[in-house]
Amino acid sequence: MTCSTKLRRFATALLLPALMGLASPVVAQGTLRVAMTLADIPLTDGAPDQGTEGVRFSGITLYDGLTNWDLTQAERPAELRAGLATEWAPRPDDPTRWIFKLRQGVRFHDGSVMNADAVIFTFERALNSNHPAYDVSARRQLQAFIPAVKAWSKIDEYTIEIETNGIDSQLPFQMTRLFVVSPAHWEAVGRDWNAYRRNPSGTGPWRMDALVPRQRMELVPNREYWDAARRPRLDRLVLLPIPEVSARTAALLSNRVEWAESPSPDSVPRLRQAGFTISTNAIPHMWPYTVSVLPDSPFHDIRVRQAVNLAIDRDGLVQVLNGLAVPSIGNLTPDHPWFGTPSFRPRFDQAEARRLLAAAGYGPNRRLPLKFIISASGSGQMYPLLMNEYVQENLRQVGIDLELQVFEWEALRGRRRDGAQGASNRGVHALNNSWNSMDPYNGLLRFFGPNELPPNGTNWGNIRDEVLEGLAERVKGEFDPQRQAALLAQIHTRFVDQAYFIWVVHDVGPRALSRRVQGHVHAKSWYVDFSPLFLR
Amino acid sequence: MLRYLLRRLAYVAPIAVGVTLIVFLLVHIAPGDPISAILPDDASAEMVAEARREYGLDKPLPVQYGIWLWRAAQGELGTSIRSGRTVASELSMAVGNTFILAVAAGLLACVLGVALGLVAGLARDRIGDHLTSLFTLAGVSLPHYWVAILLVIVFAVENPWLPPLGMGPDSSDGWRPDWAHLQHLILPAIATALIPMAVIARTMRASVIEALDQDFVTTLHAKGLLPGRRLWHVLRNALPTTLAVTGLQLGNMLGGSVLVETVFAWPGTGFLLANAIFQRDLPVLQGTMLVLSLFFVVLNLAVDLLQSWADPRIRRA
Amino acid sequence: MSATAAVPAKAQGTGYWGGVARRFLRQPLAVAAALVLLVVILAAIGADWIAPADPFQTSVARRLAAIGTPGRPLGGDELGRDMLSRLIHGGRVSLAMAIVPVAVALVIGGFLGVLAGYAGGAVNMAIMRVMDVFYAYPSILLAVAIAGALGPGMLNGMVALTLVFVAPIARVAESVTTQVRANDYVVAARLSGAPTWMILRRHVLNNVAGPVLVFAASQVSVSIIAASGLSFLGLGVSPPQADWGLMLSALRQALYVNPWVAALPGAAIFLCSMAVNIVSDGIRRAMELRR
Repeated sequence: MTCSTKLRRFATALLLPALMGLASPVVAQGTLRVAMTLADIPLTDGAPDQGTEGVRFSGITLYDGLTNWDLTQAERPAELRAGLATEWAPRPDDPTRWIFKLRQGVRFHDGSVMNADAVIFTFERALNSNHPAYDVSARRQLQAFIPAVKAWSKIDEYTIEIETNGIDSQLPFQMTRLFVVSPAHWEAVGRDWNAYRRNPSGTGPWRMDALVPRQRMELVPNREYWDAARRPRLDRLVLLPIPEVSARTAALLSNRVEWAESPSPDSVPRLRQAGFTISTNAIPHMWPYTVSVLPDSPFHDIRVRQAVNLAIDRDGLVQVLNGLAVPSIGNLTPDHPWFGTPSFRPRFDQAEARRLLAAAGYGPNRRLPLKFIISASGSGQMYPLLMNEYVQENLRQVGIDLELQVFEWEALRGRRRDGAQGASNRGVHALNNSWNSMDPYNGLLRFFGPNELPPNGTNWGNIRDEVLEGLAERVKGEFDPQRQAALLAQIHTRFVDQAYFIWVVHDVGPRALSRRVQGHVHAKSWYVDFSPLFLR
Repeated sequence: MLRYLLRRLAYVAPIAVGVTLIVFLLVHIAPGDPISAILPDDASAEMVAEARREYGLDKPLPVQYGIWLWRAAQGELGTSIRSGRTVASELSMAVGNTFILAVAAGLLACVLGVALGLVAGLARDRIGDHLTSLFTLAGVSLPHYWVAILLVIVFAVENPWLPPLGMGPDSSDGWRPDWAHLQHLILPAIATALIPMAVIARTMRASVIEALDQDFVTTLHAKGLLPGRRLWHVLRNALPTTLAVTGLQLGNMLGGSVLVETVFAWPGTGFLLANAIFQRDLPVLQGTMLVLSLFFVVLNLAVDLLQSWADPRIRRA
Repeated sequence: MSATAAVPAKAQGTGYWGGVARRFLRQPLAVAAALVLLVVILAAIGADWIAPADPFQTSVARRLAAIGTPGRPLGGDELGRDMLSRLIHGGRVSLAMAIVPVAVALVIGGFLGVLAGYAGGAVNMAIMRVMDVFYAYPSILLAVAIAGALGPGMLNGMVALTLVFVAPIARVAESVTTQVRANDYVVAARLSGAPTWMILRRHVLNNVAGPVLVFAASQVSVSIIAASGLSFLGLGVSPPQADWGLMLSALRQALYVNPWVAALPGAAIFLCSMAVNIVSDGIRRAMELRR
């Protein structure tokens, strides 16, 4: 490549976004076809199932929360921004009562007005089993994500109040998951949530045009979307459920889709060669081993926890995954404001690992037998068989005989709900379950303390730690963002120093994109905004 | 014939009941709690109990079986835990899609199988027989899902001749017998047809040889009759058995294409079943198994009756 | 089914089996296939001594290494492990997954079938109708559903496959036994008051064993494919054990990158299943008495 062409490319790279900014955003530009990893279209009624991928495709496309995630930049972790609420704050006289001011002039896809009644209706249908619109499916999908909510009431046409279970500064994060649905439309479709799913109505930037279960969902732009900057530029967005990874690769290579979620590491070279971009960014996710610290587990001993953390060659694993992961040395990435300053650093040091194991009483003559439960596949589990086999071999080198017990994903979730203390998990020393870490509760607070023991929470390993529990109480009562972040950093520092998890990698949310796809921002989030996309 | 028919029908009823029992128990031999799939990650004990009540899982097993059977008998197969859609609507769509694939593969398997079997039988113990035998043996020996992946790579990816997955073009809103849809059918049909083709060919070969050995054919041959006439006699004697085998293979294909449907993202019963298993969507799993197995029972019966009607010697005492 | 056609008119004594062996040896293809099978079985049994490398030793540098790479004669898999060693060790698992279910089903199904056939009447009715229930499912569907319900794992996969094979084997055993029971010499033996166990041993088992064994042998190839299919769906063998199906599944993405290495497990399944089919075909032909 000559110097001048380089220069020209550089200039184009600089100029193109500027030119695009000038282009009229209402000019519709193409049909984008996306291969999802799901086996079916996630539920479209504002309470999507199938985890974060469900929210990505059927949640934030069709609906808005009271708060939304800001997905416009790829450098820092995604932050909250105003959604259907324009401002929110706890009442000064009672911090368990929050006032949310709602956005005016927003209409649902069915034309009805979004107001306080609609938000109250959304709460009722998920959480009030006596309400005529109560839907058990919505409760299942939502309840775990809005644990702070205790009560709700309308103050005026565009103001509501939400009461929390105790003081809880985490409410605004949780409101990203409460997708507001249209009471008028629910009446219009005959008070039937199944009918609503076939013909949904939200306030989101996309409206549903067609739905063929297990085959296809087609979305078209909502030209009246309240945020003009987020009005979609595409003509149409087609979402295809293709769970088999080789079929997704084939679909890309034969130009049946322009976008595929989660390509397999082994297909990456071939996809690059065919001109596809593999887009990645660290997303708030971790793929660790959640260990049991019960007295009968070897992980009761901090030296064993640290030793195993030191035995794993994370860089090698990332290489095996063709770069579709980043090494994980904590619940969060080191550049995260809550990462803190842990003194224990999980690195690859098998000599130190052997030394720690020897100190704990294990050695060549007394190999350490461990048993982990893992899944064969599942949401967020990345490439579980490959990765676990890799770790198994790492541990063998330091004198640990790791037995992997493989479960199908739903069965593993059952084991997760039983907790390490459960009878079914007797003799099991760790659970390989990936966790999202997008907010303080999900990333840190749910993994320790008595209130989070399964089935109520996800303190699977029975971690009791007075330092952590004290800090957690203070976080819930701290409303100042900076002081809150400082407390969270202290929690994370303690958590890593105690080596309460065995960290392996973070997911990077890989997606393979055709060169025709323009305007893509890979936010540090589980979610993606399809609005700025267009096809060349 | 009527007595035979009644007796066969009397056999089928208890089989059908046995089938329902096994389908029902299938869900309960599963380790872990079937309710866990329905609930979010950190559901409370109260929510678990509520869901258990709602799905009737709190009752004793025999009672659950009774309730389930009674509802199933009325065509009430429940609703999918995952999607909230009725199992019947999920099934009707999937069965239709699989039926298209099964018929296409069945036709392909039948035509090829009969032709190959005929060649092998007529060329008995000569080179033609050995070659076709090897070919059909290869057909039953290949992992057909692997063949499916290879077919996609060769004919859809490296050479963009045929579509790699799905049932029709992007905007298709239903299957139609036009080229746009038919081209989607070619690769899955080939992969699905492999085993039935081989089985049919082997049956055909055996029947042809049996027919050739029959005295009257030998006589015809001795009389110097035209090869055409001889062929006709052979075919007439060999075809009933072959068609019966084809019918059974059709039944197999309706339920047995789990792997091929997965590779081609073909939204049929196999795809439905595999995903019901992975998502622990028990009503869908039970409903699909029930409908497919009852269909298989009926098909078996029909084939049996047809065959005994064509060849009365088959009616066993 | 097809085996019923091969019921020998009267097949006892070493002369008959000697004849079968002679006729088998006259088929070069069947002999070659038998040799292939023998090599595979010996390699599986002696995997610990024969495999050139540790099948679990990963090597990031040799991921998907080409065939002929030093230390990786048949290339490296997705974790850089030695393909040749993994194929040899995988063969052990694959063969076990294929043979054990058929063998167990042979014992159970054979016993039930002979019992039903010899006892006749109500016993026959009871046993065979239960078998019919298991026969009422397309076989792969049944295996997938049972393995899916039980969850992944080698043992669960074997249980699922065993249940698939019991009914067909019982059917063959029953139909052959029923035919043998009606034969003149058995009727004569019964009339002369010979004890049941002796009739069973001398006449029935001798005659039933051949066709049932041949049928069971042909089912081994079905079992190889079905077992690998279960592993492909994630319902079969689980790591660190790997059968050819799981290897095939793990390498299916690499087909785009290094097709020759990635195709090896599939080729191994094909080769083995083909050899089983040719051998069982050869035995069947050798047992057919020419008219």
